Amino acid sequence: MSTELFKKVGWTAEGLHEKSRKLFITNDAEKLKFIITKTADVPTYVENGAADIGIIGKDVILESGKDVYELLDLGFGKCHLMMAVPKDKKRPRLEDYAHTRVATKFPHIAQKFFVERGMQMEYIKLNGSIELGPIVGLSESIVDIVETGTTLRENNLEEIVHIMDATARLIANRVSYRLKFDRINNLVNELEKFL
Amino acid sequence: MSEILETPYGTRDFLPREAAAKRAIENRLAKLFSEFGYEEVVTPTMEFLETLTNSGAEIESNLFKMFDQNNRTLALHHEMTTPIARLAVSRLKDAPLPLKLSYNTSVFRFRKNQPERQCEFYQAGVELLGVSNAFADAEIIALAAQGLKVSGLKDFTICLGQVEFANGLMEENNLPPNVQTEIKNAIEHHNIVGLKKIVDALNLDKNSADSLKKIPTLHGGIEILETARALAKNQKSIAAINNLQEIYKLAEIYGVADKIIFDLGIIRDFEYYTGMVFEAYAPNVGYSLAGGGRYDHMLKDFGLACPATGFALGIERILTACERQGISNDVQNKNIYISYDENNFGAAIKKASELRAEGKVVEISLTPQTEDDAKKSQVEKNYTELIYLK
Repeated sequence: MSTELFKKVGWTAEGLHEKSRKLFITNDAEKLKFIITKTADVPTYVENGAADIGIIGKDVILESGKDVYELLDLGFGKCHLMMAVPKDKKRPRLEDYAHTRVATKFPHIAQKFFVERGMQMEYIKLNGSIELGPIVGLSESIVDIVETGTTLRENNLEEIVHIMDATARLIANRVSYRLKFDRINNLVNELEKFL
Repeated sequence: MSEILETPYGTRDFLPREAAAKRAIENRLAKLFSEFGYEEVVTPTMEFLETLTNSGAEIESNLFKMFDQNNRTLALHHEMTTPIARLAVSRLKDAPLPLKLSYNTSVFRFRKNQPERQCEFYQAGVELLGVSNAFADAEIIALAAQGLKVSGLKDFTICLGQVEFANGLMEENNLPPNVQTEIKNAIEHHNIVGLKKIVDALNLDKNSADSLKKIPTLHGGIEILETARALAKNQKSIAAINNLQEIYKLAEIYGVADKIIFDLGIIRDFEYYTGMVFEAYAPNVGYSLAGGGRYDHMLKDFGLACPATGFALGIERILTACERQGISNDVQNKNIYISYDENNFGAAIKKASELRAEGKVVEISLTPQTEDDAKKSQVEKNYTELIYLK
């Protein structure tokens, strides 16, 4: 989606594709350099100024806690972050899960959510297949991203709290934004026409 | 065992070459500040917690704290503006205004997860107390620009804003304080997506809403100020624009106007800014090198109303920027290595004293050496010249 959108406004390069094996693709004529990286690393590249701008989900920005500028909601990659528990072990209220274990890829967002509700939890950081947590007895609940809900159903999990919505965002480094303002601001204006 | 060789999180050593580069920049800055009539002050590394949090309690969680023998809470100073305000209101309250003070010290903030943000880091800066006009602000900006220049940097930009512009627009729409804080947070972090959401929820007329949303993109040369002026219907915002134009005229005379870009989206982290604010950036460095602005209310918080303006330069960040721009701060001044055979230690000491009196950097071998060993030592230790006495 990101590369297609960029292509529409003329920001592209030969061989540029999200599944590209090349990690660094340049378009010398347009003075563009594209970096293909793991999603969780995008805010890091941008915060350090190794990349001027990036496209990344709001969930990843919040989880990273990185200091980056958020310029545009690109609308795609829509999903939401929620808490789910095994259907047959559902408790009456959210508070009833205090001091239990929660498996998640997003411990920072999860912690912020529970702390605001005065709940202390034990966070178990997993890097994938979060749904396994309650099945194998690693945790009582999960906090994870959901797009369609199929995975939840297949694993007998039920969403009990909606935590936040997320979509893809255009982010920028704070210095790049100022020193390359015209180029970045034009990009934002052009992209807006396609949203 | 390994722990005794570690340094605490967020702290660093400066090895001789690094320390020399740091010292060289600090010396040039100290000289520059004094040429502008600023006098250096030194304040305690630790203050009472209440002093440091007097102008905003938010900083508390980022302070390094400890207790004194009476169980009062102390904290390491996290910047120098607050200690200097305390100093000005207490011990210097009878000094003639304007008060022009400078400093060069390390400051401490607990923070993690951010590039080039050490917990202990070095700042050099100035505070100008007692004058509220654009002339004082222009002097501060010119001095900051000169400071970056004497540090060796050629390529840098100063982004200049005015917090009263955004404040005026918000007041014009009678926004309650909590919404104003939300909007300022969104502007400061350039969360343009978030800003849109907040403003859209306010049900303002379209013009007012658009003006608020445009604040972070009001960026450019002097002409952008007219664009900004057209968005404002209130005296405060217009006065802010006039103030920036006045500062710019003076910056032209100082010869630093070519380094200035206007950006009304700059508000800065601290709550205490009341007028112009600025940050300095260099290409290929992802964070600001310097920052400052006008803070007319802080001294009042300490009990003496007095306008003030100032800035701080981040020494390590300037060193990084110099390195990335290929500017060497190497101070290679190891001149002469003196060595000698068994019978000539006395002559070596006398020779070294003579050369040192001439201002040369001279090291004497601490034991007699053969001439070959002396040559090796000279090369190893990076001395340009060898004197061997036999």
